[in-house]
Amino acid sequence: MANTTYNAPPAVSGWQQRALVVGVIGLIATLAGYFVDHDQFYRAWLVGFIFVLGITLGSLGFLMIQYLTGGSWGVATRRIFEASARTIFPIVALLFIPVVVGMHSLYHWTHLEDVAKDPILQQKEPYLNVTFFLIRAVFYFAVWALLASFLAKWAKQHDDTGNHSFRQRLADLSGPGVLIYGLTMSFAAFDWVMSLDPHWFSTIYGLLVIAGQGISSIAFTIVIATRLWHREPMNHVYNSGHFHDLGKLLFALIMLWAYFSYSQLVIIWSGNLPEEIPWYLRRFSNEWKPLSWALLVFHFILPFSILLSRGLKRNARKLVIVAGLLLVMRVLDIVWLVAPEFKQTDVGGLWMYATAPIGIGGIWLWFFFRNLQSRELLPVKDPQFEQALVAASHH
Amino acid sequence: MADAMKQTGQEASNAAYGPPPVIGPGHTFASVTEKIASIVLRKGTKRGWMVGFGLSFLGMLMMLNTITYLVFKGIGIWGNNTTVGWAFDIINFVWWIGIGHAGTLISAILLLMRQSWRTSINRFAEAMTLFAVACAGLFPALHTGRPWLDYWLFPYPNTMGMWPNFRSPLMWDVFAVSTYATVSALFWFIGLIPDLATLRDRATSKIRKVIYGMLALGWRGSTRHWSRYETAYLLLAGLSTPLVLSVHTIVSFDFSIGIIPGWHATIFPPYFVAGAIYAGFAMVLTLGIPIRKYYGLDDFITNRHLRNMAKVMLATGLIVGYGYAMEAFFAWYSANTYEAYMYKNRTTGPYWYIYWLLILCNIAVPQLLWIKKYRESTVMLFVISMFINVGMWLERFVIIVTSLHRDFLPSAWTMYTPTVFDFTMFFGTIGFFLTLMFLFIRILPMISIYEMRTMVPEAKLKSEAHASPDKPAMPPAGGPQESPA
Repeated sequence: MANTTYNAPPAVSGWQQRALVVGVIGLIATLAGYFVDHDQFYRAWLVGFIFVLGITLGSLGFLMIQYLTGGSWGVATRRIFEASARTIFPIVALLFIPVVVGMHSLYHWTHLEDVAKDPILQQKEPYLNVTFFLIRAVFYFAVWALLASFLAKWAKQHDDTGNHSFRQRLADLSGPGVLIYGLTMSFAAFDWVMSLDPHWFSTIYGLLVIAGQGISSIAFTIVIATRLWHREPMNHVYNSGHFHDLGKLLFALIMLWAYFSYSQLVIIWSGNLPEEIPWYLRRFSNEWKPLSWALLVFHFILPFSILLSRGLKRNARKLVIVAGLLLVMRVLDIVWLVAPEFKQTDVGGLWMYATAPIGIGGIWLWFFFRNLQSRELLPVKDPQFEQALVAASHH
Repeated sequence: MADAMKQTGQEASNAAYGPPPVIGPGHTFASVTEKIASIVLRKGTKRGWMVGFGLSFLGMLMMLNTITYLVFKGIGIWGNNTTVGWAFDIINFVWWIGIGHAGTLISAILLLMRQSWRTSINRFAEAMTLFAVACAGLFPALHTGRPWLDYWLFPYPNTMGMWPNFRSPLMWDVFAVSTYATVSALFWFIGLIPDLATLRDRATSKIRKVIYGMLALGWRGSTRHWSRYETAYLLLAGLSTPLVLSVHTIVSFDFSIGIIPGWHATIFPPYFVAGAIYAGFAMVLTLGIPIRKYYGLDDFITNRHLRNMAKVMLATGLIVGYGYAMEAFFAWYSANTYEAYMYKNRTTGPYWYIYWLLILCNIAVPQLLWIKKYRESTVMLFVISMFINVGMWLERFVIIVTSLHRDFLPSAWTMYTPTVFDFTMFFGTIGFFLTLMFLFIRILPMISIYEMRTMVPEAKLKSEAHASPDKPAMPPAGGPQESPA
């Protein structure tokens, strides 16, 4: 075992090419949509961007959490999380640019003439204004990029030298790192999604978005791990124990997401205040009611019931289907957060909500696979390495 | 040569990487059993225990006196008034319920997450849960004013045709707390059975043999017993896990379902749950550090346990801090006059000092836990957890009293002042709680004997690796290395 290397299988570069092709086609289709309906294009882009950001930052979060807690699930999947997290700069930051360009179309509070007529928006103006919005965005990306680059750099040095002081340093950064991620991502969620309705607010919103990011990143990691498990060298490494751990995490996260969602709903519903309830009334209106039901059933009830089964969580072939379903549901959840905020003038433009995530996702995947190929798929120098390979199979 | 030496030195430091064992070195199955069982089975009682128990018992008597007077006279003996209808009674209820949560988290969630360090602290943390829930339950039961009619809280068919309001979170509380108490008691007792059998077998007096024997329910330790036992224990752990979230979520609904500024916030459920675990771990440390010292249990409740609990406290404390930050931000961002005033009143109103004391106790002081030196020091940990115990009580005071005393109608504004009976009731429950704790450590094994025995083989391997850091635990892959000169 000592001489085994864990480089990515050649197939990965094939996936990378295919992702690029799909991405470019999706992007072209979405860009064509720009000429059909400007506004719709930006909304769809925002959905695609928030989706990809979720995988990236959710992975950044889990990368830090596994450094903090240790454990074999972290060793086995660390490189996948790392490859996702490393995309934050430059590609995910670049994907944000169209949101900035389309600000005026997306965010009502950028319309100064309307703000002047609205006392509430005037009061919020010190926070909700274009300059401060951009400063904050630059700050968020700078913080995330710094976190990701230090985590990636020290992990590489740990690999190269085998000196565990780097492992300690990674853990030391991860403590404050998780806190920083939680705070910056909460405010980013307020800025980029919640402020689509500048009157509405909910104090749990940041946690709700973060839980969604967790689901996106674990579901994505399960998909990638399953693909790798079919091939050398990971077919000797991954076993049902590793998938069991990932399945349990996914299970816990969808419960957490449902818990946050339910808490927000029941508190706002029972309060029934004019400043809060319209947000739900829009989503329970006839246009969006089917989507609300779909989220309840396919984002929670169905995956929850399926993932109760121990055997299924240990079976990668079946688990990956649930993960795939959840990735689709993540996109739909973000559509649910974004789309009802706008009066749908042209139902024909809705297809962009599908092409934008595919296009943006494809481009992002190209960078992800590039990162994945640049390092061995396992941190062979990790002190828990041997233990991680065998221990997982026993429970 | 220098390179090789550096390499070996590094291997040495690398070998010591990883958590130390959860049990002190040199223990065998027999010594573990002997050490824990002897605390219970020794003849005569230590003087320190007698003094502590006596003082706690006096506290409990104070509580019983207060309750007697309260039932006789009515809840007018408390400081509650028409504006501040919820005060010490609900503050103490939430405080006690929260403390219980660490026990459930340690016994259920950490078990499912295979965190072996939970083993030596789960038993007394679970006992703490039960006693804390008992204290908590007293307050709403007495707050009704006519505790002999409390059974009306349960939905049962009755000749009056009266049903509780199912839309009220207070109703949900009845179910959440009674389920919690039942499942916690079951879990605790099931966990005790093998140890009760051990005590039965080791007891020398006839009476003890009979009592422990009855409690052990005929446990013989056969393979079949163990197999069923393990299944039952895991199932109960699974059942208890949602309770860690649900109970305090429901408690948070008591507030957030209404529309009072300072209560109606969607962040309440997770922030209350985190606060509960925070308070619970603080209480486990508050009790565990002196017990460990007094009974010389350093080998079982090791520094690693204390360190891990310190980390859990730091993490949950930061989530609580996140909750405060969100409340503050949204008080401004909502652009709602009442929300903004609520926050201003908290920070600068007549109870401003309570708010800032709360920030000091719950947010500022616990940041010391970032520093490794303080996580390793039992004295510092004890002091910090005392701060948190106080801080979590103040948090509930801030939420309940400052939100109520100045509500929507300025003509109804008033101040709240607790009476002497508010204090005798509160401190009385602390006496009640400690009385139960003292009885528990005297008559039942406070550390799980059989689970500690399972730790012995693992600890042996690890302590060998730790004892000789210049010899790597496993030979390095590249063949034998030069030993350092």
